[in-house]
Amino acid sequence: MNDREKLLKRVQMYSFAVTDAALFLDTHPDCAEALAFYNKNKKLCEEAKEQYEKSYGPLCVMSEQNDSRWAWVDGPFPWELSAN
Amino acid sequence: MWKYEKKLEYPVKIKKPDPTAAKIIITQFGGPDGELGAAMRYLSQRYTAPTPEVKAILNDIGTEELSHMEMICSIVYQLTRNLSPKEIKESGFDAYFVDHTNGLYPVQASGYPFCADIFQSTGDPIADISEDMGAEQKARLTYDNILRLVDDPDVRDVIKFLREREIVHFQRFGEALRLVTDKLDAKNFYAFNPSFDVKK
Repeated sequence: MNDREKLLKRVQMYSFAVTDAALFLDTHPDCAEALAFYNKNKKLCEEAKEQYEKSYGPLCVMSEQNDSRWAWVDGPFPWELSAN
Repeated sequence: MWKYEKKLEYPVKIKKPDPTAAKIIITQFGGPDGELGAAMRYLSQRYTAPTPEVKAILNDIGTEELSHMEMICSIVYQLTRNLSPKEIKESGFDAYFVDHTNGLYPVQASGYPFCADIFQSTGDPIADISEDMGAEQKARLTYDNILRLVDDPDVRDVIKFLREREIVHFQRFGEALRLVTDKLDAKNFYAFNPSFDVKK
């Protein structure tokens, strides 16, 4: 696993924790423990995304773009073997 | 609206092409209990959901299903790369290939195209959520059957992740059904449709 894959895996891990916690919170909106878990992982997810994007380009079309090139078009795209 | 994130929900990295496996796994793209149907089912039902929690869970599970559809398509895409005409013929992938080459088209394992007949949106939350719980179980058992037929650990790992999500979604829909019935007459949940008959 190269450095890009390692960083992407961190993004995927925290992002998944956030997705799963959000579903739980949809049916338990007053659960303080789940909210704390959500907030902790949301912060870790944001940090991991920032770190990934600094070296490997934008994860979202609205992510900060470099002034010289529209890096959103640069591959690999998520379904490609080399992206994972 | 939706925003795209340029990553899969869970990594798909399949080193060895296998068109025979692709032929059965594609059913979770366009088949009766597949991810496309799941996303369309929940995202269609959410408009008439009776409470904010139920609107939220249909919205958010429907959204997650879109990312599962993307994972299934990624599996099929990676399983069908670099194939020779001989491999295409011998694996039986030729029947799909002749119409679609390596393009992703939503079909069942039998080749029958995706059809909206496989899901309902009734405007009645008890009927809809009961269907949703059944749908999650049917998707779970389809993944169990795929695990019975596929040996490659690269594929099995992703299928196991998707199978687990069906179980979590079933649990969340069970909670959603309880949230609906808690606000109704326990002696007769079906006395009226809370999304239609209640006067505002």
